[in-house]
Amino acid sequence: MALLEAREITMRFGGVQALTDAAVSVEPATITGLIGPNGAGKTTLFNVVTGLLPPTAGRVLLEGDDITGLGVHTRARRGIARTFQRLEAFNRLSARDNVLVAAEARRRWDRSGPHPRQATDEILERVGISAIADITVGTLPTGTARLVEVARALATGPKVLLLDEPSSGLNEHETHELAILLRQLCADGLAILLVEHDMAFVMGLCHVIYVLDFGSIIAVGTPVEVQADHAVRAAYLGDEGAAA
Amino acid sequence: MKRSVGLALGLGFAFLVFVSWKYWAGNDVTGDGMLTTLVIGITLAAIYAMYATGLVVVYTTTGIFNFAQGAVGAFGAFLYWELHVNQGWPTLVAILVVVGVVAPLIGVILDILIMRKLQGAPLVVQLMVTVGLMLFFLGITANIWKPDTPRSVTAFYHPDGFDIGPIVVTWHRLITVLVAIAVAVGLRFLLFKTRMGIAMRAVVDNRGLAALNGARPGVISATAWAIGCSLGALAGILIAPGTEFNPNNLNIVIIIAFAAAAFGQLKSLPLTLVGCLVLGVTRAYNQQFLSFGSDFPKSNEAIAPILLFIVVLALPQARLEVGRVVRNVRRVERHTHWWEAVIGMLVLFAIVYLWSDGWNQVTQNRWTLAMYTSIIVLSLVPLTGWAGQVNFAPLAFAGFGAFLFQKLAGDGSNALWLFVVALLCAPLGALVALPASRLKGLYLGLASMAFAHGMAVLFFPHPKTFKESSGKEAFADLRLFGHAFDERREYLLFLVIVFGLILIGLVKLRTSRYGRRWVALNDSAAASATIGINVRETTVLVYAISAAIAGFGGALMAVSRGTVNELDYELILGLPYVLLAAVGGIAYPIAALFAGVSTVLFFIVKDKWDYVIFAALPVVGPGLMAIGMVANQRGAVYEMGRGFAGILPWRSDAREEMSRENAMKRDPEIGDLGLTRAFTNDTVIALDRTLGIIEDVAVPGGYGRWRPAAVAMVGDGNGHATNGHPPNNHGGAPAREEVGHGAP
Repeated sequence: MALLEAREITMRFGGVQALTDAAVSVEPATITGLIGPNGAGKTTLFNVVTGLLPPTAGRVLLEGDDITGLGVHTRARRGIARTFQRLEAFNRLSARDNVLVAAEARRRWDRSGPHPRQATDEILERVGISAIADITVGTLPTGTARLVEVARALATGPKVLLLDEPSSGLNEHETHELAILLRQLCADGLAILLVEHDMAFVMGLCHVIYVLDFGSIIAVGTPVEVQADHAVRAAYLGDEGAAA
Repeated sequence: MKRSVGLALGLGFAFLVFVSWKYWAGNDVTGDGMLTTLVIGITLAAIYAMYATGLVVVYTTTGIFNFAQGAVGAFGAFLYWELHVNQGWPTLVAILVVVGVVAPLIGVILDILIMRKLQGAPLVVQLMVTVGLMLFFLGITANIWKPDTPRSVTAFYHPDGFDIGPIVVTWHRLITVLVAIAVAVGLRFLLFKTRMGIAMRAVVDNRGLAALNGARPGVISATAWAIGCSLGALAGILIAPGTEFNPNNLNIVIIIAFAAAAFGQLKSLPLTLVGCLVLGVTRAYNQQFLSFGSDFPKSNEAIAPILLFIVVLALPQARLEVGRVVRNVRRVERHTHWWEAVIGMLVLFAIVYLWSDGWNQVTQNRWTLAMYTSIIVLSLVPLTGWAGQVNFAPLAFAGFGAFLFQKLAGDGSNALWLFVVALLCAPLGALVALPASRLKGLYLGLASMAFAHGMAVLFFPHPKTFKESSGKEAFADLRLFGHAFDERREYLLFLVIVFGLILIGLVKLRTSRYGRRWVALNDSAAASATIGINVRETTVLVYAISAAIAGFGGALMAVSRGTVNELDYELILGLPYVLLAAVGGIAYPIAALFAGVSTVLFFIVKDKWDYVIFAALPVVGPGLMAIGMVANQRGAVYEMGRGFAGILPWRSDAREEMSRENAMKRDPEIGDLGLTRAFTNDTVIALDRTLGIIEDVAVPGGYGRWRPAAVAMVGDGNGHATNGHPPNNHGGAPAREEVGHGAP
């Protein structure tokens, strides 16, 4: 049984069909990639999984339970955390307070972990942003603010972490550090689903990759399999590229 | 969604049945009676429709909800009176000048000077500015046409008409309905059949995209505002003969338009018209068949607030929106330490203590007014300042607090009851927020305004609320542990202490987990939910706390005044509190003192210099200041505090920041660039000036036009590109960050 499963998700906005029977499943201790051209429906799928959008059809399952009808915060409490493509950091709060808010929220449903302040310090350290902990997030560069979002998501003690283009805005060194962090988290048992445009980053990091094109999953497999897939080459390079 | 609609319909219907059964006037239900109801109802609906469609057209095209629509209508109606009745112009000419020239001109000017700069501004700012406009138009209308002279406007062709069966349909009614139909058909044609209309609808979807496709957003928003103001003025003129002719009364009609617009979910014109019809016919039904006697003398006024609440219950839950985050926080926020607050409050106490010695009674009363106003305004600090939610009803909560305090404490006036009052006011706040918190923030503004008006027309005038025969309730001097505050100066000092304690409590609260959570909620509700925060529960909680503080302050207000009656709690009287709070910069608790002191200063100026222009100052003043928020959204106390902080010995950070900013003001040396100074549009201009490359670059606004690419390439040093806009063309308004902010 997969940890998180999106089954036959269809999402229609008026006349536009953003997702058609898209199915994705995420296993514990695995990094799963979700790639596809712009407008393929990646972020829409994230929004459906986290509950920000109610799907037109389809179901979302977490540990086998149907969570399709649950609210955003209830899903978060059950272990789904995410970051956003267009940043949704708490800009008026310091980086530390961004994480602390999440750690404090967690105490409401899970009192097992360490004290929120202690948990916050540990996470800041782990994500590597302790140095900027007291800076107001709205004044930070985009890339750093992205890391704050990652730290905030981790503070909820998630089972599955959804990352929407985590490396955009990061420089080469920071991207490398992020990859190391994600591997560690994965080794600790966390399931990660990430949307990413940086192909080197995705191919080097993910165990499984789903390819989304025009709202449909056109390929699933290991990085090697996906790179060799004809449909994927067609989607990325056009039909001629696939033929060549 | 269906369940909530059914629930609301059922509730509304049950309420109607209950009221009809309880307050039936005893008239027979005849065909004539029903026909009369229908005719009157449709006429009323026609007028409401003009107000409401004007609102919806402006809101859907520009994203700004015009709270001033009714006040513009009042201004139009008085201008019509001036031209037609006072100057003797022919009816049609007067109408054409008001509706066809002056009102659209007002709309265009408002759009150009104010509304365009509000695009993308936080909701609180947008609301404060248009509510400020409401007070501004009300104030100047009352100032130009003094309320002491009675005025009236007669109906068209008064009193002629024609008969339908037993009832007379006056020409005025017929004309009103025909005009409304023409407006509806005209709008439909404009929006669906003309290029302009199609562009208007496109702008709603995506302003930037529409502009790329050749639409001109400026022209479009100006057109929408012109139409909106025209319709407001037209409605004002048409409604004037059938109602009490004063600015307040003509303005408050707008609550009805709010309810109708909410019925159309603020976007559907046909549904808005249905809403108008429901409201008009209900009102006519009430007049025709129901009688509330002296219990609810203003029952007609209460229909719209009640319907608005029913609609709010029925509307489907709003989605949490992503991508609306304002990301150009320029500065590091610094929290006030609790001991700084303690020192500040001790200083305040010392000042009042030393200064108040020997004050006469008038001065004492004024500063007492300042203090209880400040305490009530403190209620907005967590709610509006931190959580970013709007509450236009602090005065209604204050009135409820006064009511509770009198019922509980009676003539004993024991101050300990104040805490019980606060506890009991909290659920009322929760009740207001509960239905609206499922929806967009604007609905909370509308619901709170409807609540304030509903309380003012239903609850406070009820004979059992403020019991004495004159409708006034007397309050005895406050007692605490057996000590009576019967001496004014002592009582004032007591208020200062109460204010100080609440303020210090709030300063502590801001750095607690609650304060953090509320600010987080304001910054991004969607992100708050994804970390497990229950957005709705949090909103309701902060509303309840706000209501508790307001009720607490309201009881003190009543005790300070000695007597209160229903007229002390009218909607309009509460709005200056909210506006001044926002102008003060309500994220900082001390802004409450700013609001309280400003209130008093307006009265002092008005009393001291008996000029005509100051007559409506307590209303126009807050209005104008709120409109000024277009330019400065941080608030007055922030600006004042910055200068002040520099002289405090422990605030080296403030001194450093000031010297940094001063350094920015001088022209750059070439060696500075990119090293000690950020590289911005200003620096480019200054550099050109230093090097003498271009001679006529005095107008910074001209820059972006001919060299956008070069300007867009440079960042401001924080990794934010400057987007190629000329600097400060938003007057400090936070522009939403656009794509392409490159890492440094």
